[in-house]
Formats: sequence, structure tokens, C-alpha cells
Amino acid sequence: MGDHILTLIIFLPLFAAVVMGVFRVETKVLKIGSFLSSAVTLLLVLWLTVHFDPHGGMQFVKDLPWIQNTGIRYYLGVDFLSLTVLILITLLMPPLYLYMKHEERKGYWYNMLLLQTGVTGAVLSLDLVLFYLFWETMLLPIFIMIGKYGNGMHRYNAMKILLITILGSMSMLFSILYLGYMYFETTGVWSFALQDLSHLVFNAQTSILLAAGFLLAFVIKIPLVGFHTWMAPAYGSAPTPAVVIMSSIMAKLGVYGIWRFGFGLFETTLIYYAPFIIILALIGLLYYAIRAITEENLRKMFAYSSGSHLSLIALGLILTNIYAWSGSLYLIATHALASAGMFIMIGLTYKRFKTVQISELGGIASKAPLFTFFFAFFALSIAGLPGTGGFVAELLIIIGAFKTNFWIGFFTATTMLAAMVYVFWMLQRTLFGPDNSSVEFKDLNLREMIMLFPLVFMLLLTGIAPSLFTPMFEPQLSAYLQAVLDAIGGL
Amino acid sequence: MINWIVILPFISALVMGIVYLADTKAKRYFFYTAVGVGTPLVMTILSFVLISQLMNGAVTIHGTLFQWIDIGDFNISLAFMADRLSAVMISFITFIGMLIHIYAAGYMKDEEGYGKFFAYFNLFMGSMALLVLSDNPIMMFVGWELVGLCSYLLIGFYHQDRANIKAANKAFILNRVGDFGFIMAIAMLFVSLGNTGFTFESIQANIHTLSPEMMTLIGFLLFVGAMGKSAQIPLYVWLPDAMAGPTPVSALIHAATMVTAGVYMVARYSFLYVEVPDVGIFIATIGAASALFAAIIASYQTDIKKILAYSTMSQLGYMFIAVGLGAYSAGIFHVFTHAFFKALLFMGAGAVIIALHHEQNIFKMGALKKHLKLVYITMFIATLAISGIPPFSGFFSKDAILVAAFSSEHYVIWGIGTLTAGLTAFYMFRMLFTVFYSQEKADHTLQKLPSSMTYPLVILAIGSATVGLLGINEAYGGTSWINTFLALPDLKFHLSFAVEYMLTALNVTLALLGMGLAYKLFASHATEPETHTLWKNVVINKFYIDEIYEFLIVKPLLLISWLIAKVIDPRIFDGFINLNVWLYKKAGFVFGKLQNGKVRYYALYILTGVSAISYYMLMELGVR
Repeated sequence: MGDHILTLIIFLPLFAAVVMGVFRVETKVLKIGSFLSSAVTLLLVLWLTVHFDPHGGMQFVKDLPWIQNTGIRYYLGVDFLSLTVLILITLLMPPLYLYMKHEERKGYWYNMLLLQTGVTGAVLSLDLVLFYLFWETMLLPIFIMIGKYGNGMHRYNAMKILLITILGSMSMLFSILYLGYMYFETTGVWSFALQDLSHLVFNAQTSILLAAGFLLAFVIKIPLVGFHTWMAPAYGSAPTPAVVIMSSIMAKLGVYGIWRFGFGLFETTLIYYAPFIIILALIGLLYYAIRAITEENLRKMFAYSSGSHLSLIALGLILTNIYAWSGSLYLIATHALASAGMFIMIGLTYKRFKTVQISELGGIASKAPLFTFFFAFFALSIAGLPGTGGFVAELLIIIGAFKTNFWIGFFTATTMLAAMVYVFWMLQRTLFGPDNSSVEFKDLNLREMIMLFPLVFMLLLTGIAPSLFTPMFEPQLSAYLQAVLDAIGGL
Repeated sequence: MINWIVILPFISALVMGIVYLADTKAKRYFFYTAVGVGTPLVMTILSFVLISQLMNGAVTIHGTLFQWIDIGDFNISLAFMADRLSAVMISFITFIGMLIHIYAAGYMKDEEGYGKFFAYFNLFMGSMALLVLSDNPIMMFVGWELVGLCSYLLIGFYHQDRANIKAANKAFILNRVGDFGFIMAIAMLFVSLGNTGFTFESIQANIHTLSPEMMTLIGFLLFVGAMGKSAQIPLYVWLPDAMAGPTPVSALIHAATMVTAGVYMVARYSFLYVEVPDVGIFIATIGAASALFAAIIASYQTDIKKILAYSTMSQLGYMFIAVGLGAYSAGIFHVFTHAFFKALLFMGAGAVIIALHHEQNIFKMGALKKHLKLVYITMFIATLAISGIPPFSGFFSKDAILVAAFSSEHYVIWGIGTLTAGLTAFYMFRMLFTVFYSQEKADHTLQKLPSSMTYPLVILAIGSATVGLLGINEAYGGTSWINTFLALPDLKFHLSFAVEYMLTALNVTLALLGMGLAYKLFASHATEPETHTLWKNVVINKFYIDEIYEFLIVKPLLLISWLIAKVIDPRIFDGFINLNVWLYKKAGFVFGKLQNGKVRYYALYILTGVSAISYYMLMELGVR
């Protein structure tokens, strides 16, 4: 089973989609089929997690020739980094399908299946061309979901995210192709495999330009300040399941990209970019958080919130020490859970009120205590309250930042304040206050509780007992970090 | 055993929370009362066992639950430690906490959300126990943040009124500003000496490896945390607003326990603060300023709970004077005595408020002494205690602080402290006389008070009268037992008994003067003053500090947010992108013009192209 498990995990959802599409099944069957495919994938990933060796390197490697005369390979593998994102996406899909229970539009379901394949493929690929393929694959369903099923100016916003993201992908593609060509020049054979290309040596000029190609794609995906104007409109227009995946998973893939390919290929060159990324990340941390204060649309508010946290993750990554790196990895996971929960709650708010404008909400606490509890819980975990995983992550990043120097530490610690202002003001206006609206507000039903419970449970578990999770990633993470530091030190 | 003091309230809070959420409408009065009040009772018993073990010679008591995290050197356990300082703290916190829980069972009886209230209240007890008993700074910070959360939840307990939620937000946000300093201090402490372990004991052992500058910075930043939690200038503005919560909350969280956490922290880090006396003087100065400032405002307030809130801030100021000047035991002693009389004052005030059907303006009360006899007597004792009249508890602890200030030759701080002591007596008796003496106001149809609300008052009154005896110093024939027991690194000052008697005489005289003045002004007839001078206006509006904050921080933040939304994002960032789009379109337009469908033009393009290529081949490549 171990031999083909990654292939199974990647293609099971796509396979399910193709089979159900060919037989033109009814919507009801489609729903059950999608849910089952996500459940089976979850089981597969659980199996993988259990058999994963925290002390080993890249595992469950599958390396097959694919397009032979250009050296493109079907090359997969999983390590601590890809496993983290893999667990997150597979954990989120079943609750999202539960959320979509009353969704009758078939295209919606097919797109979600395709999206899962795109994301899992991207995190498991170790061949750069293969990675690029999956990277673009995951954009497609998002484009369709915003453009077709979105709200507001959804067509315009879909086009905006598509064009800006493709600008990044194109520059990355250029860098990938050039790297492959360089490999051919030096060795006489073609290869796009990450581990082959990482041995290439370039002059500083070339390296800086090639790294720029990758970085552009990744900072747009994150997005860092200045590359972000697609974000709020796209989040605002996208349907809830798409927003959850965008915020929880796809944005993290930008960080994943820097981690895997940035540090994998250009350790030394990243030092050249580090000051820029640090400054952009620190600005972003506050810029997005301050912007979120006056945002009236809940979805957009948490789009900015997401940008703020992603800036923090990127910051921790660039600081290259064990605390900051662990914190970033931890925040990838806990923010994915918290923001998924938050966006689902916002989606549920929309289902009940037909609006997510804060000014039209209020007094929910008087009518729906369960709803209030879950809503406040996710909002507070985004603000990094102790007892939830976000606190552990932020604490580690702050320590890592102070390890670097005082001022970076100081500005990083503002994350304590940044999220709090908009979160608490939002809670005040959304949940509390007099119960004056005439809309009947149904409290959470059992299905909704079942889909939210895993998220709450995981957030509490990551917050109360991080020691359950750290041994899963710490050995590999510190080994990778040591390799990066050695490469930098070797200059 | 020590583990259970912390775990138990969390478990009971969780259980009550789940039961409450399962059916929010159900009353379940007996269940919630049994679990809610039973938990602090068990905690109290365990704490007393703990402190008796320490009295019988145990040095420290440790307990470990599990390893919390282990990354690099960052190896933190969820572990507890009771030394003498934390044992004293946890004992009175659980004891007074238990009494307030009993009181709350009466006070909150008919409220909607009774179960929710006790879930929050027990959660608070657990968080406070975590804060006090934690054996490392990280877990202390977790407790520190969680008590802030409970404070937020309980201030906003009546969540239908937006003003309450606003007060709750204000409390949480200002506390977090303090926590911002706290977390930086912890992070720097860890980065500097975390490689040798990060429990309080190992930090204490290695503190000398830090540079003096580093110690100063860390000491200062830790105190920023304390300023937030203990409502000192300039982070105090949340405390008066926090009175929006139910009165038992004000008694427990915003008077007796949580707000004193800042003082506890400074005492906990006393091994650091003895190394940096400059920071200590800064702390004492802030404390003195807060003490006086709050006492002035309290003298003009009309809301009974606000008077007590400002008085709390003022008393906290005294505690910071003590710990700032290195008299850590005196500071903790005042925390201890203050917990008794302030909890009692709040609970008495709550009883009055309930009896008068939620009236809080003292000028609408009057001559209640014959209607609420027990409340009157107990509150009288508490007022004597807070005013520093011997032999009540407040006298001994306040005296110890002022003696420390005088003998360490900080005469300005001592002067402010002494003046404030007089003011304290004045504003406290102003309240007492107005409420219980003065003339009869309106016709009172008093609500009857349940016995669960009155018995705790009696116990606390006995405490307020007597707990000062634990700290009688040598000048009065005692042994300063509490100082010896706490064994904190107090700075020692020598003062002859004669001088000390004179200082005491001065304090008591001032207190009696304040009391006498209050009696003269308010005992027979008290009405809310109508005319307002400029000074009064300024004080009644609390020196416009809220407005200044609004203008300096809130407005600019909103303005920046607005600027980003309306200018920077759409005009600059999107502007740049749209400029490119526009240029692209224009270029397309220009090239579109070339392709105009006229053969003559196309011939011209061909001619130009052929000429250019020919020229290139001729001149550059040399083709003939």
C-alpha cells in the first residue's frame, strides 16, 4: 500500500469526479460520492501519518519517468512540511462537504473535487514541472467558483485574481525552465527534479533573478503587502468553501513554496531578499490588521486578517531559527483551522441573515448561544488566545524574532495587539447588543456542530498540548534548518 | 494535590459550560450552585493543606502535569510550584473566592445565565490559580491572559447593553497592551538565559548572567504588563468601566484578586527587581501618582461601585509603592489585607444595590443604617480598615508601606502616600455616611437579602478586623510574622521606634481628619452637588483621559485604516496595476491603428521592413 499511497491520495478525488461526471450521476449521488472520496482520502492520510517516520527524510517517494526526453518525472514524496499541509486539506474537506449539504449546483461539487487534487498534488510534487502543473490546476476551480458561483462583482474579481496570480506563475515557469536548461548545460541531461536542481551553482546575478521568478509567484499567493489587491475582492466574492480553501490552504502554499523551493534552491540568495521580505512582512502584519478595523464586510475583514497572519508566517520563515521556523509551521496549521472555522461561521451567518455586513448584524448572542460560542471561539483563536494553538505559534515566532534582534522582536510582538482590535470590535457589533432584529435566527443544528467540532477540538489540542505535535515535525525541521544554515554559513 | 487546585476549576467550568450550552433555558439552580460553589471550597481546603505543609517546614511544593512543549531549548512543562509567596496568594484567593461564590449564589439567583456565570467564575478561579502557582513564566502568562479573558466575559455578562460590551472590550484591549510588554519581557528573558532552563527557580539562579541594561529593560517591560492588569497610570481607564459587570465579579476579579496580579508579579520577580532599583523607583512613582490621582477622582464620584473602583486603583498604587521600593512583603501584605476589606466593601455595596433595586447613585441612598443593619456594621468595619484606623487590618499594611517609603528616604513618595491616606478616609466615609446616615431618600421598599449574601459579609468583616495582626511589626510588639514567612528579598531600612510612632500618629490624625470632614459634610444631610466649578468638572470627567486616548490613539487608528481603504489600496497599489492595464490597452490601440486594412499602408510596412533587413545584411553582416 505504501508504494502508491501518495498517488492514491492525490488522484482519488479527481478520479471520483471523472467517474461521476462520465456517468452523469444525480446531485444526491454526487454529494455522497464527494463526501465518501474525502472521507477515504482522510483515512489514507491518517494511515500515512501513522506510518510517517519523524526522523526520516523524504518518505513514500515515488519516482517514475514521465516525459522522457525532457527529463520531466512523476516524482512525489512527503516530509514534515508537505505532511502538515496535506493533513490540513484532507481534514478540512469532509466538514466543507457537510457545509455544502444543501448545495444543488453540480459544478460546485466537481470544482471542489478538482481543487483537492490540485492542492494535494502541489504539496507532494518534487519535480518542478509537475509542481507547476498542480499549482495551476488549483487556480482553475477557484477561478470558476468565484466567477460562476460568487457574489458581488464576482466576474471582475475572478479575472483579477486570475491575471495577477498568473503573472506570478509565468515568472515562476520561466525560472523553472531556465533551471532545467542550466542543468542540461552543466550535466548534459535534462532534469527538473528538486534535488537535482538544488546542486546547481550559479553566479549571484543569475541566482537573484531566478529566485525573483519563484518569489513573485509565492508572495502574490501569500500575499505580502503590495501584491495583495486581488485578495479582499476575491475573498469577498468567493463562495464560502472556496474562501476556506483559499485562506486556510492556498495562501499557505505561498509560504510552502518559499520553504520548499526558496530554501531548497536558493538558500544563499534568500539572504539577499531577507531584509525586503522581513520589512514587507512586518508592514503587512500591521497594515492588514489596521485595514481590517474599519472593514464592514466580515469576509473581507477576515481576508485582511488572513493576510496579517500570513505575513507573520512568512516572517518566521525568513528568520531561520528553530523557534521562528517551528512557530511558522505551527501557525500554518493553527491558522488554517481557525480561519476555516471563522469563514464557515461567516458562511453560516450569511445563510441565516443573507448579509455579512457588520452594520446589519447584532444581538445574535441573545438568540443563539451555541452559534455565539463557536463564532467567538474561532474569532478568539484567530486573535491568538492562550489555550488555542495560535498562541503557541505566535509565542514561538515572537521568541524567534527576539532571537534575531530586539526591533524585529518588538514589531513582531505587535501581533499581540494587531488582531485584537478588529476582532473584539467586530464581536461587539456582530454578536452582542440589543436583540432588535426581527429575523428569526436559528441556532446551530447537529450537522453544523459536527462539522465545526473537529476544528474546535484540534485548536484546543494544539493549544493545550503542543508536545503531542512537536515530535512529529521537530527532528526533520531542525535537520532541514541545519542544512540551510550550513549552506549560508558556507558562503 | 497542588495539581488539583488548578485542574479542578477548569474541569468544573468545562462541565458547567457544556451543561449550560446543552440547554440554556434550564434553571438547574441546585446543580450549578453545588458545582460552582463546591469547586472553590475544595480549592480552599487544598490550599490550606498546602500552606500548612509550608509552615511545617516544607520549602517548596512541586507538581507537574505534563510537558507542554519541547523545541530547541524551549522546554516548558505545565508544572506548578508553591513557595511561600504563591501559597499565601493562593490561600486568600481561594478563601475569598469561595466566599464570593457563595455570595454570588444569592446575588445572581434570579438572573438569566446563572450557569454561564458560574462556568465563567470557576474558569476564572482556575486561571488565577494557574497564574499564581505556575512554576515558569510562560504558564504564568497563560494564566495572566486567561484571567483577562474571564474578566472580559464577565464584564460583558449583560451583553444586551452595548455599553457593557464596550467596557469589556476596553478592559481586554488595555490589558493586552500591558501583555504586549509582558510577552516581550518573557521572550527576551528566554533568549538571554533560556538555555539553562526556564522555570522561576532556574531564572533566579542565572539572573546574574544578564547585563544590567538587559535587566532594566526586562524589568520595565514586565511592569508594563503589571500596569495593564493592575490598572495603574496610564493603563487604568478600563477599571472604572469594568464595574459594568455583576457586583460579585467586581468584588472577586476587579478588587480582591485579578487586579493584584501585577503586584504579585513584581514580587515574583523580586530577584530581578532588587538588581535594578531605578526601575523600582519608577514603579513606586507610578504607584504614588496612581494612588493620589485615583483618590482625587474617587472623592467626586457618585456611583458607589465607581468610588470603590477608584479606591481599588488607589490601593493598588500603595502596593506598587511598596514593591517598587523593595518592601515586597509589605506590598504582598497589603494585597492580602486589601482583599478582605475590598471584597467586603464591594459585597456590601452589592447588597445595598440589590436592596434598593439596582440603584447605584449614593446620593439617592440614605439612612440605610437602620434598614440594613448587618450590611452597615460590616461595611463600617471595612471602611475603618481601608482608612487605616488601628487596629483594623488596613492600618498595619498601609503603615508598613509608608514606613518603608519614609525610611528609604523617598520623601515625596511618602508625602503623597500620607496625603492619600487622609483622602482615602475622606472619600470612603463620604460614601459610608451618605449611604447609611444622611437623610431618608424616597420611600424604600427594600428587597430582602438572602442569607447567602449576608453570612460571607460577617466572615469577611472578622477578617478585615483581624488579619492585620499577622503583620504587626516590632515597633508595636509584634514580629512581622508575614514578612518572615514570605521570605522575600526585602530591602531593610532602619527607623527608630520614636520616628515610627510619629509617622503613625500623623497617618492616624490625617485619617481621623478625613473622617471628621466627611462626617461634617455628609452625615446629616447629603445631596448631589448642583453647581460645578471648573476643577470639579475636570475631576468628574476623570481629567478627560478617555477623551485624550480617543483623540490620540483611537481616531488616528481609524484614520489610517480609512486611508488604506480609500487611498493607499485603490489609488497606489491598485493604481499601479491599473496603470499597467491602461498602458497595455493603449499599446493595443496604437498597434490596432497600424492594422487599418489599407493596402497602401501594408505596402509601406513591407518596404520599410525589407529596407531595414537589407541594410542590416549589407552593413552589419557584410553580405554582397
